[in-house]
Amino acid sequence: MTTEMKSQPVYWKSLEELRQDSRRTVSDRDEFAEPLPWKRASPVMPAADGHSRRDFLTLMGFTLGAAGCSRATTQHALPFVTAPEDLTPGVPNWYASTCGGCSTSCSVLVKVRDGRPIKIEGNAEAPLFGGGTCATGQATVLSLYDGARLKGPLWRGAPAAWQEIDERIESHLRATMARRGRVALLSGTITSPTTRDLIARWSQHYDRFQHVVHDPVSYAGIRRAHQTCFNRAVIPHYRFDRAAMIVGVEADFLGTWLSPVEFTAQYARRRRPAASMAHHVQFESTMTLTGANADVRHALAPSEIGRLVLSLLDRVEQRDRSRVDPPYSIPASALDAIANRLRSHRGESLVVCGVQDEAVQTIVAGLNDVLGNVGRTFGLSPSSLQKQGDEGEVAALIAAMRRGEIDALILYGVNPAYDHPDSDAFLEGLARVPLSVSFADRVDETAAHVHAVCPDHHYLEAWGDAEPVTGVFSLMQPAINPLFDTRAAPGSLLKWLGEPSNWRNELRSYWQRNLFPLQSAERDFDAFWDSRVQAGFLRVPVPPQPSPAFVGDLDAAVNRIREDAHAASRGADEYELHLYETVALRDGRNANNPWLQELPDPISRLTWGHGLAIAPAAADRLGVRDGEIVTLIADAHRVDVPIWRQPGQSANTVSIAFGYGRTHAGPVGNGVGVNAVPLLRQKSGRRSRVVRLEKTGRSTTLAATQTHHSTEGRPVVREATLKSFLGGVGEHGAAAESLPSLWAEHQPGSHTWGLAIDLNACTGCSACVVACQAENNVPVVGKEEVGRSREMHWIRIDRYYQGAEAAPDVLFQPVMCQHCANAPCETVCPVLATVHSADGINEQVYNRCIGTRYCENNCPYKVRRFNWFRYANNPRFDFNMNSALGTMVLNPDVVVRSRGVMEKCSLCVQRIQAGKTAAALSGKAIVDGQIQTACQQACPAKAIVFGDAQDPRSAFARLRQSPRHYHLLDELGTRPGVGYLTKIRNREA
Amino acid sequence: MLRVALIGTYVALFALVGVGVRALAEVGDHRGYRPAQPIEFSHRLHAGDTHIPCLYCHYGALRSPHAGIPAASVCMNCHGLLSRQTAEIEKLRESVLQVRPIEWVKVHNLPDFVHFDHSRHVHAGVACQNCHGAVEGMSRVEQRMPLTMGWCLNCHESRGVGDHGARTDCIRCHY
Amino acid sequence: MLDTQWESVARVGGDHSRPARDTWVEGSPALNEISDDIARPLSARPSAGWYGCLAASTTALAVGVGCVTYQIATGIGTWGLNKTVGWAFDITNFVFWIGIGHAGTLISAILLLLRQRWRMSINRSAEAMTIFAVMCAALFPLIHMGRPWMAFWVVPYPNWRGPLWVNFRSPLLWDVFAINTYLTISLVFWYLGMIPDFATLRDRAAAGIKKRIYSLLSLGWDGSQRTWSRYETTCVLLAGLATPLVISVHSIVSMDFATSILPGWHATIFPPYFVAGAVYSGFGMVLLLLIITRRVMGLERYITVQHLDRMAKVTLLTGSLVAFSYSSEFLSAWYGGHADERFVFVNRATGPYAWAFWTMVLCNVCVPQLLWLRRIRSSPAALLPISILINVGMWFERFVIIVTSLHRSYLPSSWVMYYPTSIEIGTLIGSFGLFFTCFLLFIRLLPMIATWEIKGLVGAHGAESPQESHV
Repeated sequence: MTTEMKSQPVYWKSLEELRQDSRRTVSDRDEFAEPLPWKRASPVMPAADGHSRRDFLTLMGFTLGAAGCSRATTQHALPFVTAPEDLTPGVPNWYASTCGGCSTSCSVLVKVRDGRPIKIEGNAEAPLFGGGTCATGQATVLSLYDGARLKGPLWRGAPAAWQEIDERIESHLRATMARRGRVALLSGTITSPTTRDLIARWSQHYDRFQHVVHDPVSYAGIRRAHQTCFNRAVIPHYRFDRAAMIVGVEADFLGTWLSPVEFTAQYARRRRPAASMAHHVQFESTMTLTGANADVRHALAPSEIGRLVLSLLDRVEQRDRSRVDPPYSIPASALDAIANRLRSHRGESLVVCGVQDEAVQTIVAGLNDVLGNVGRTFGLSPSSLQKQGDEGEVAALIAAMRRGEIDALILYGVNPAYDHPDSDAFLEGLARVPLSVSFADRVDETAAHVHAVCPDHHYLEAWGDAEPVTGVFSLMQPAINPLFDTRAAPGSLLKWLGEPSNWRNELRSYWQRNLFPLQSAERDFDAFWDSRVQAGFLRVPVPPQPSPAFVGDLDAAVNRIREDAHAASRGADEYELHLYETVALRDGRNANNPWLQELPDPISRLTWGHGLAIAPAAADRLGVRDGEIVTLIADAHRVDVPIWRQPGQSANTVSIAFGYGRTHAGPVGNGVGVNAVPLLRQKSGRRSRVVRLEKTGRSTTLAATQTHHSTEGRPVVREATLKSFLGGVGEHGAAAESLPSLWAEHQPGSHTWGLAIDLNACTGCSACVVACQAENNVPVVGKEEVGRSREMHWIRIDRYYQGAEAAPDVLFQPVMCQHCANAPCETVCPVLATVHSADGINEQVYNRCIGTRYCENNCPYKVRRFNWFRYANNPRFDFNMNSALGTMVLNPDVVVRSRGVMEKCSLCVQRIQAGKTAAALSGKAIVDGQIQTACQQACPAKAIVFGDAQDPRSAFARLRQSPRHYHLLDELGTRPGVGYLTKIRNREA
Repeated sequence: MLRVALIGTYVALFALVGVGVRALAEVGDHRGYRPAQPIEFSHRLHAGDTHIPCLYCHYGALRSPHAGIPAASVCMNCHGLLSRQTAEIEKLRESVLQVRPIEWVKVHNLPDFVHFDHSRHVHAGVACQNCHGAVEGMSRVEQRMPLTMGWCLNCHESRGVGDHGARTDCIRCHY
Repeated sequence: MLDTQWESVARVGGDHSRPARDTWVEGSPALNEISDDIARPLSARPSAGWYGCLAASTTALAVGVGCVTYQIATGIGTWGLNKTVGWAFDITNFVFWIGIGHAGTLISAILLLLRQRWRMSINRSAEAMTIFAVMCAALFPLIHMGRPWMAFWVVPYPNWRGPLWVNFRSPLLWDVFAINTYLTISLVFWYLGMIPDFATLRDRAAAGIKKRIYSLLSLGWDGSQRTWSRYETTCVLLAGLATPLVISVHSIVSMDFATSILPGWHATIFPPYFVAGAVYSGFGMVLLLLIITRRVMGLERYITVQHLDRMAKVTLLTGSLVAFSYSSEFLSAWYGGHADERFVFVNRATGPYAWAFWTMVLCNVCVPQLLWLRRIRSSPAALLPISILINVGMWFERFVIIVTSLHRSYLPSSWVMYYPTSIEIGTLIGSFGLFFTCFLLFIRLLPMIATWEIKGLVGAHGAESPQESHV
């Protein structure tokens, strides 16, 4: 499946072409949409593709003209001068690598077509992550082709040669060393063991060298607590798949917390509707993906969390009188029930908490210890290495910088000027550092103030490795030669250390020294290396250690929480502030990625910005509507934000997302939303952040893809309780096939493709949405158009609320073209642009479509998307499809649609055709699972299954037989090829 | 005089419609397209007289949607050994020495919304000549077949491509 | 010869049992007087009023042309449509204009067959109106396409795309045929009616280009017995052909909606409901036009108050039919018991577009009730505002049907609002501009009243003048 990459003459060639092409005019920019580097002239026919659209005016009106001018077109074909060995034009290569989207370091496969990485997919063979990805991971391939990336190194803001910069830096470092000055490396979490080893060598080399790790969202509290509780300053390797009773406290572990892809896979495995189905209780202050999936969800204010976990501990220990009065927002009876359930699942329960408060984490550790979860669901060895930041050390470093004690500062994968609460102090300190170097790939908020910017490779251009969880190693290999004059950051560190070797050899030798001996499969290192590069991962046995005894000081923690309980005071007009990450933008490092900006938030459904989440009741009290701008006053800091009424929001808490308000991200990300990080700044001693809101009278438009949030009592998302399902009663699938039909049956071919979507497994994480966008060249349309309800996504995840606004149930439902056997769209198209295939696919033929939109009107599922404008090569839509660089990400197997035609989910027909071709060429039949749609492949919960209904052994056919299986709006008799499986809630009623 | 005027008008009208329909019907048919190439490469000489199999140079057709045009290095496999030198072969050397790809002119063009897979057809035993004409007889390649949709479908129908119905599915080519 | 001629005219025009002149033509104009009156606008300098109207309507037309050009050059996105509402102003205008057209055919064909003599002085302009309305209507299906330059694909023509053909299951395709048939028949019928008058004009015109044009248009008419008898037969035959069209065209247009699965569209009552609505709005428009033109062109003698009264009665009848259809729609929605269907109608009356719904009810149900009063029916001053309101109401009827059904259908997650853009409004204005520009040119360049039929009304009693003897 994967092959190691050897010589790549094609890459150098495409690099040349890229450079010359970026100087070209719009008129012949389309070459990257083509599998071969052909130069194109004007179209042969008015075609439903990117190339012909630019001169549609000449074809407009009198089409006979097209017949005449079509002869004039000339297409050139440029073959290689020297044919590369491992590349056949038109045939994709796959390379195993490690995702660089965040520090979680998931194992991925990179699809490279004619030298260009065009798609990221999960590596199903790798451990931990289960072959899924997240939305961010899917989008990273587009960041590779980000025009805002630096084209080369900068010295004091001006382009300079690497050699010149190296000399300056090296001489400065030598001088610093001579006078024993302090050198600091401020980095994000580094999961790469080789890089960590390299940094260790720096500290040997410079005796006053210091490595400080800064995570915009810190997890240090957990590590500090576990240091005192277990003498291990680690983040546990949580095992949700071993937990029958899950209690989440302010931890969005399915969406953004620590390792969401891994946790979602574990969670989904344990949430299958069976007697063993896990029960999930979530406590949180705003509605998150995780809370939305919980069986029982309680909203509470951040200041109550200490009391919550403590009163849980009391109840689990069955003390006769509690050491603290329970949080006022949660009835004691509910706590009793949860505690009982926890006690009845000793060793197979799990309490996770995202609050970075040592006292709270101590209690949580105590809880898991009392419940005997340590070493089972709450693993301390192996442990997670995915978050290593320590805000304490960062603060100390900043202080030192301001005192002028730091002589050289190297910034690696961090942007404190944007994402550190005290960014002003940091910048002040930075100004006093004689030499500051950043590895940023663009001139970001921090890099704008440093002496030297030495741009790092994009991870798809770089060698590297990662150890997300102790004992699990993952390799990173280049899928394309560097597009720009960049250099791997570890390579720079190596160079400045004065080492002769280069980064790749360094990597190899580290693996040879440290990892090769740990395995026995391969005798010869080269063979070992090749096999690992090909597979992309290595798992080495971690010697089992006895789970450590709990030695934490609970009483101190209890007292601390009691103090807080008294200290937590809030005026009538005051709200508690809570900050969180969104699935799309996380900490904001990918803010310049249009796919992520346009990805609707699974909960709020907002794109291109965020709002201040406030409980509807509170909003009414305040008299504010959605989009109305209020001034948020936190201590000295004031910021204007639009209101977003959020059902399920804790009554007196307002929540706002990180990742917005970038000023130096690039044209796409700049000025979208506001930066919430400075709100974290606060007077010491106060632990709950209290803010006031002031109305401004102004308001703005928020671009949401869904404006109606209730199902209106229609059974579009069916659900049942576990009890009723196991008892065989309740709302399940209905036999739509029994309805009589006036239509003649379709003559089925040798396949009948379809999808089965398990609403019980789907968490709404939206990875499928970006995966579909990447696979099918779905255009980005921007905030204005989304605001006009014109987003182009082929798959959407409907989110409905049910029940009370204060504590609603949340329902997610992925909806794409249902590929109806009796498709309403097919009967109404006057030109047969949408017809039924023998394989059961509802075909949309772009080049036949004349754009009457009748099909859109007649589609009961509203899944059809119309090209209202020309979205490619159009300055009005200045996203990835408007630049030669950005169009490199386009999938050559899918045509770019023209203005004025309808499009929709094609069931990834290009993948089906590829599968059929592979079968035809190998002479074997297509086996179940050989063809996967993009959404299915990306799904970390395995909620989407593609298959052939005619193959009774296929997973798909089996799911269609499930008692939970039903068709959306089946009373219409459309007989969809896409089916849904009823959602099951593990609770009474 | 009046009658003449009237009849004349009718005739003219019908003639115009006829011409229009005819022209529309022929959109996309480029038979006879025979562009000059940067190098006067003769398929008659190579594929005809010396009987080099098509797939020796266009090996992509075996496993890729694209038959591909051979890299200059492939030409040099032979021409590196052959002593005979001409001005045309000199161009070839130049391109190899200067690592500058030769800008061939594509003769058989399909619109971008048509996905034609060479490997599928080669494995189905369709001779290259079915679509490209008797290339081995052409000193300069010329488009002989219409390469229009109807023409493709005639073959799909008559050869009974794939199982029932699938042979004329739009998504066999358009996606 | 003359007598037989007038008899034949009378046969076409209706029976002679009752003396005609008393009711349908005021005063007792001699035949040549009639010719003069009716031909005057064609020769005399047009009035300032005419110039004023023309200026206004050409301005509107220019606005429309600008909007359409911009929209075709930029994309349908310049309209307010979205992922859920695929049609709005475009198809609303289309159905509206098609509806307007119907009165013309009804008057000229059905009333001819029914031997209604009062139609004679108004049918010519009604037919013209039909043609212009259908022209406006046909514009919208064309420009509402995402790729109008591909519009010819809806025509089944021989091509080299193998089995690729048009989809005869699609109501949009039925529209194509229905509209084209309708336009053709109306054109022929209209032209045929004018032939004798062209002859008259030819003879009145002095030698020169004008005379040559008229003689070409009159197809060598010689007024002989043979010509007349053939002429009558053709008229009656064409009337027979045109009559079913009145019913069929709008029935087919209504099937765009009726055959869909959308609640609020999917209703069997639509064909009769739409036809009634069409005739209703059509007569509204005829009233409007004639009330203005009879004043502007000074033809009160020929387009009398009785004409207005008769038309008002037809309007009242069809208006009541429309009102009935509204109520029966709600009834079937309630009685049918389909939750989504019920919701659509509740949403129409109480949802975000309730204002449009109640405008429609006011104009189409309440206002026409005034027409029960003879005083209103016989007062042009009162009929003018009513006829305008009727057209407003009928436009909103189509808007309500299309938009309120689309914007909230099956899946609540896709419920959205639709707001028109300036481009859409400009295009609507433009279509009115096109319509009135054509009509104004018509009354200026062609005889807007069938001279020969009026003469038929007046009959042989009118005094003769020698130069007319051969007509």
